Amino acid sequence: MVDEKIDAQGMMCPMPIVQLTKKMKTMSPGQTLELVADDVGALEDVPAWVSRTGNEMLEQRQESGKYYFVIKKK
Amino acid sequence: MSDSEKLALVVSEGSYDKAMASVFLGTTAAGMGMEVHVFFTFFGLKLLKKNARPKLPGLYRIATGMFEKKMKGVGVDSFGEMLETAQELGVKLYACSTSMEAMGMSRDQLVDGVDILGAAAFLNIAADCKVQLFIG
Repeated sequence: MVDEKIDAQGMMCPMPIVQLTKKMKTMSPGQTLELVADDVGALEDVPAWVSRTGNEMLEQRQESGKYYFVIKKK
Repeated sequence: MSDSEKLALVVSEGSYDKAMASVFLGTTAAGMGMEVHVFFTFFGLKLLKKNARPKLPGLYRIATGMFEKKMKGVGVDSFGEMLETAQELGVKLYACSTSMEAMGMSRDQLVDGVDILGAAAFLNIAADCKVQLFIG
């Protein structure tokens, strides 16, 4: 189970990333977050954000037009 | 990412599209851990006025409300809210001192937390930034 969830469906770039940034700031190291988005931009944006910020991508999958990401806070 | 990654943005136009491009890039970069410095000059300076409500450029001006509604529909906040978010994330905002004078603006008309700088002082900051973009 993940600690936090963000439903960014219906949001366009850069709002999923803005929401992700805000939420991650409130979390403790080691906690996990699941983000679901349907903006195709998220497919590249979220991994780019994760690698830049040094957090860890635990899981990434696509399901019926939705993109799921599970991220662990460093 | 190295600690030295910094972004310098120059915003020289005050229309809605330029305004949103600057807060989108600024908030995203800050969210990615970059240090962000945004210099507002010429008509861009109007964006730092309290309660600024930028309009689309030219003939599209009348469609601004419709466009804003569309943006809200995809989760995008108003320019003012995005600017606040940018500041919360540590984005530094600068007003061009010459533009302040030319446009007859005073510090108390600006949103809080803005520094007033000249070109040399901003270039001194920008020279240390890996990414420098001009929005105008």
